Amino acid sequence: MLSRRSLIVQLPAATLAGSVALRAFAADKTVTIGIDLPLTGADAQSAQKIKDGAIMAIDEANEKGGAGGYKLNPLVLDDGTATAGQYDPAQAATNARKMVSDDTVVAAIGPQMSGSGKAMSPILSQGNLATITPSSTNPDITSPKFAGQYRPGGKAIYFRTVTTDAFQGPNMANYYADTLKVKSVYVLDDSGAYGVGIADTFQAQSQKRGLNVLGRDQLNPKEADYTTVLTKIKSLNPDSLYYGGVAQAGVKLVKQSYDIVPTIVKGGGDGMYGPEVLKGAGFPACAGWYATIAAPHVLGDPAVAEWTARFTKKFGEPPEDYSITAYDAANVIIDAIARVAASGKPVNRDNVRDAIQSTKLKTLQGEITFDENGDLVNKVISVFQIVKDDTKPLDDVAYQYKYMGVAPQSA
Amino acid sequence: MNLEAVYLQQLINGLSLGAMYALLALGFTLVYGILELINFAHFNVFMVSSFFGMWALELLGLSGQAVVLTGLPLAGALLFAFIVTMTLAGCLGVAIERLALRPMRAVRGTAAMITTIGVSYILFNVVLLTVGADSKNYPNPMPNVSWALGGATLRLREVLIWGITIVLMVGLQLFVSRSRLGKAMRATAQDAEAARMMGIDVDRVIVTAFFLGSALAGAAALIFGLYYNYTSFVIGYSAGLRAFTAAVLGGIGSVSGAMLGGVIIGLIESLGGQLLAVRWTDVIIFSILVLVLVFAPSGLLGRAAPNKS
Amino acid sequence: MPDKDLTERPLGMLGASYAWLRRASPIQWIAPYAGSRLGIAGLTVAALLFPIVSGNDANIDSAANALAFAALALGLNIVVGFAGLLDLGYAAFFAIGAYTYGAFASYQIEPAWSQFWVPFQWLDLVARVPDPGGDLVHFQVSFWLMLPVSAAIAALFGVLFGAPTLRLKGDYLAIVTLGFGEIVPIVARNWPSVTNGAMGLNGVAQPQLFGWKFGIGATPYYYVGAVLVALLIFTSLRLKSSRIGRAWMAIREDEVAAAAMGINRVKFKLLAFAIGAGFAGATGTFYVAKLQTATPEMFMFPVSVMILVMIVFGGIGSVWGVVLGAMILQILQSWVLEDLSQWLHAIGRLIHVDWLQRIELASSIELIFGFILVAMMLYRREGLIPATRRVQGLTLAQQAAQVGTGFAPERLNLAGFGAHDRETDGALLDIDGLSVRFGGLVALHRVALQVPARSVVAVIGPNGSGKSTLFNAVTGLVSADGGAIRFAGRDIAGLPPHAVLDRGIARTFQNLRLFPSLTVLENVMIGMHARLATGAVGALLRLPGTRREEEAARERALAILEIFGNRLVPRLDHTVASLSYANRRRVEIARALASHPKLLLLDEPTAGMNPAETHELADQIKGLHRLGLTILLIEHKLDVVVDLAQHVVVLDHGDKIAEGTPDAVRRDEEVIRAYLGRSASLGGAAVA
Repeated sequence: MLSRRSLIVQLPAATLAGSVALRAFAADKTVTIGIDLPLTGADAQSAQKIKDGAIMAIDEANEKGGAGGYKLNPLVLDDGTATAGQYDPAQAATNARKMVSDDTVVAAIGPQMSGSGKAMSPILSQGNLATITPSSTNPDITSPKFAGQYRPGGKAIYFRTVTTDAFQGPNMANYYADTLKVKSVYVLDDSGAYGVGIADTFQAQSQKRGLNVLGRDQLNPKEADYTTVLTKIKSLNPDSLYYGGVAQAGVKLVKQSYDIVPTIVKGGGDGMYGPEVLKGAGFPACAGWYATIAAPHVLGDPAVAEWTARFTKKFGEPPEDYSITAYDAANVIIDAIARVAASGKPVNRDNVRDAIQSTKLKTLQGEITFDENGDLVNKVISVFQIVKDDTKPLDDVAYQYKYMGVAPQSA
Repeated sequence: MNLEAVYLQQLINGLSLGAMYALLALGFTLVYGILELINFAHFNVFMVSSFFGMWALELLGLSGQAVVLTGLPLAGALLFAFIVTMTLAGCLGVAIERLALRPMRAVRGTAAMITTIGVSYILFNVVLLTVGADSKNYPNPMPNVSWALGGATLRLREVLIWGITIVLMVGLQLFVSRSRLGKAMRATAQDAEAARMMGIDVDRVIVTAFFLGSALAGAAALIFGLYYNYTSFVIGYSAGLRAFTAAVLGGIGSVSGAMLGGVIIGLIESLGGQLLAVRWTDVIIFSILVLVLVFAPSGLLGRAAPNKS
Repeated sequence: MPDKDLTERPLGMLGASYAWLRRASPIQWIAPYAGSRLGIAGLTVAALLFPIVSGNDANIDSAANALAFAALALGLNIVVGFAGLLDLGYAAFFAIGAYTYGAFASYQIEPAWSQFWVPFQWLDLVARVPDPGGDLVHFQVSFWLMLPVSAAIAALFGVLFGAPTLRLKGDYLAIVTLGFGEIVPIVARNWPSVTNGAMGLNGVAQPQLFGWKFGIGATPYYYVGAVLVALLIFTSLRLKSSRIGRAWMAIREDEVAAAAMGINRVKFKLLAFAIGAGFAGATGTFYVAKLQTATPEMFMFPVSVMILVMIVFGGIGSVWGVVLGAMILQILQSWVLEDLSQWLHAIGRLIHVDWLQRIELASSIELIFGFILVAMMLYRREGLIPATRRVQGLTLAQQAAQVGTGFAPERLNLAGFGAHDRETDGALLDIDGLSVRFGGLVALHRVALQVPARSVVAVIGPNGSGKSTLFNAVTGLVSADGGAIRFAGRDIAGLPPHAVLDRGIARTFQNLRLFPSLTVLENVMIGMHARLATGAVGALLRLPGTRREEEAARERALAILEIFGNRLVPRLDHTVASLSYANRRRVEIARALASHPKLLLLDEPTAGMNPAETHELADQIKGLHRLGLTILLIEHKLDVVVDLAQHVVVLDHGDKIAEGTPDAVRRDEEVIRAYLGRSASLGGAAVA
């Protein structure tokens, strides 16, 4: 009989026993892979899909006996908080410290958001713990210009299986100018690290390409009403709108801009690519919006169809493009661990980092190699447009986002 | 769009915002007038009620903006939604009063206000943990009708907001000034002890105030959902801040003050955003709040500042 | 309102848990030891050994975070717990401390190099950074230097934010502070040149100790945090049991009475804000140095609420309580819930239940905070470790207080009591043509009154005649709308209440305005506030001079309390709320006497006393008069007036209608009419 008093004694004891048992289980020939994603908040759904991609790769490897004989244990940490309503850089920093202080962690996947990345990078660098992000695109983190700030340890530890906003923003500006043939644009951001960064690069390139940038303002993700700024935009009569930012503000922008400026061209970065936009904004509001991802589009490829089916069966939900980059990121790590084990060197984070640096691996998205800063050598930005497909579920990213092609790279 | 038209449009925007804030501020000021209690939970009652409204509309089979109704079916659907939402909201308010606030009535100082902060947190996090953090697409059967008004656009939803707000405000004003219970409320607001001695059931008055106030928040929440076509767990914060400032600006405890304050804040938000930049709106609103409280605590139409320490 | 039986309240289960908590011996068992030497020594040893014993860096990191929040809780405790000012925007000072350090210890601000910076470079505060566009300045101010600097800057902002709130009461003060608390993160978000906006200030430098960098291991930060918390605990305790702490608690309990007892409310409220803000500023620097990143989200309203929950949970006003509360809640959040979540994930993977694998208990921490706040407010407002202490019950002998007969003032050691530094041959108190209006109501109309030195003057009159208003005007609680008030030859009209006390006028209140949750001794010592000189620094350091002053003050308080025989002395450490009505009246008189007044204003001192007690008090007042004290007395009991007063003034509806000796006044027609109506004097129709 569980009396209240005994429960209060038994519960902490059980927890303690559980943690001890967990650690004991982890002790023999296992390594831990940290996964840091904003599983709480406005981006939870796409974070979940990214996590699923990584877990799928890890589970597959474990079924085959692990990487180089080592079982892989995922350590999932949430950098989203209820307070922020989305990713929280302070929480990300705490998670980074947690991963660095845990000796069994040899590599990590994530973060999803660049704001978290900026906070985590210096800490990871000091611990020489490599992380591969499937979606963080802010270029500053790997730029040699800011090496002192983000890489105080010297070596590259922030690897990416996506391209950066150094290309995502400007290439979209090229697309606006060349393919969509707009003459004027109004730029918005959501005050976050990623949003401001990509809006800045988009704006700079637009101006270079001769587009008339009519103005730039900032949306507050916590606020409900954007009619004021949209009315202001309407009065300036631009051909198009570009939004740098993530879903929390993006969804509201989609809805309200549909009411106030329905006919102008509207686009955003990879923050606008995801089920949150389809579900939160819904049709007809979201129809026509352009979005980009900083990776090649392989989801529609027949070669990947089998993978997609497996993913959907395992998790009960269809994947998105960043699930693939996450899957690939996990496989890079698995490959790196296998190579270190094969070479006879101890499987620790220093050796794994070096192995990741020298990766040359064929994955779903193509061949992955990294440059000396940790960036992907193969730089591709894919453009999508939301076009309603009534024959498929309306919140399925794979079918509602129509692939438009590769965004033109600047010369 | 020429300059005149822009300002006209922003005026329309501002008045619509103002109507929403006024409704929310009204509920808040009703409770304050009687209990001299700042009820932090009010704004999350608003947020929770928007979900009540969403479920009421979904019960009718509506989802997203796909199904469009007109005429009598539209009026029926909206009436149903309003009644359900306002009733559930009112009940939530009464539950909060009964469980968390009644035991605190005798405690002097800010203890009761701190309790409302706790309740507010509970509502916020329960919704977050159950419904999730993403924005929900709001079921809306209204047709996307609009009229041109000298370069600006007046949409059906704006007319709806003003119509419903005016009806509710007039209804409230009539209730407070004409009905027996309304008179009892005004008496209690002025002097609870004396009211009790005159045979007024003060408990009943307080419950009524909470019910009415929360019901108004419910109406505001449903209007919010129909206007913006979305809801999420964070809508209480931003709307709450503005409604609170509206109540303070108009004069806490004054019904007409809440209405006036709401309209003023709505206009400040839209015109301020037009003239400056939207990113400064929060600072402006907070500054107004601080300035009013420090220099003119009784607001525009309110009575003298309370001497409760 | 009587306390309802627990089972009658809703949430009976919660109530039952509360009852269990109440009976839980550990808390009541620990509390008395917490402050003792043994307890502190034990705690220190445990704190020092913890990192060595634990070995797990993540746990040490959690502990370091917990210490940071304990420091914040201590700071908020000073503002809310000691001074009673509900500050809902406390995180703003946390932010200011954090960003100040961030600005001076990161790559964020890099002005162009010029000769101006050379001395700073020499002091190793800045470095010269070569850059193709022109050399830049890189700030690298030492963490240790920034700790006090940030604290000072935050304290400055504390004064800035506190100033507008001084006149405001409870709720309104809370809202204004909430406003400031929100404005600071918004400014941080919109000032990217200094704070890097929402993207966060990254790459903040780590502390260095003699060239050795702290690195990312949490242990050095843990020790710094522990030292910081120890220092703040020390400061809090020292302040609490000093003149400053008493002044704060007086303001918290009853602001008006505090002012009437000589406490400069403005100064002490600002002091509380400043010191509280300083604590937060120092903690902000510490926290950001550890995290190496500062974002506006870290300092928003939920953080202020979290700190409030910590002090409510731990015990508002109790130094050890808030530290305990903060540590428990932080460790709950970062340790227990995390581990629990990981454990549930493992189970979920084992038994293939999907939602168990996804559950994140740590994100429900705010829900838990909400429940804690509501539960504590409803069921245990004093928190885990209450601020008030338990006292021993009185023995039967002590309870049977003898009626004091034969009051002998010569026996008492009241040196310098009632002495005048110069002989005033005029009136000590000279009121001339005093008028006071409240809107349309004329409370006093051109009243003239003189109180000669060393006399007893009584003011009588029917209810509503303006007697208490007269006292309020003299002591500065209401402002005069006309006329002059001179005391010892100097004009005092318009002075704030604490200045009036300082000049030498002390008073009691008609409806009793004691400090309810403070003890008898504390109440009386607060009366002495204006005559003591210890400031915050003195309280902190407790120099010999301060200690002597406190000792002397305590002795004098005891001497004054002995005026009332053994009615009050055995109850020195009892809270006045637990005293009988008559005893409370006596404490209030003792409190007024403690300030060494030249003129004592007694507002219906014998109200509510039975004839024996009335007679006893009248004797005691006579004794005080014989010591040289001038007394102005409002009384309804005419036999007391006749017994004590040499001169009587009669007020009715704001006008003085008669004055003279007690006998003359008693027979005056106007006076009789005022009290008893027309019929009594003329036999005509009664005027109510």
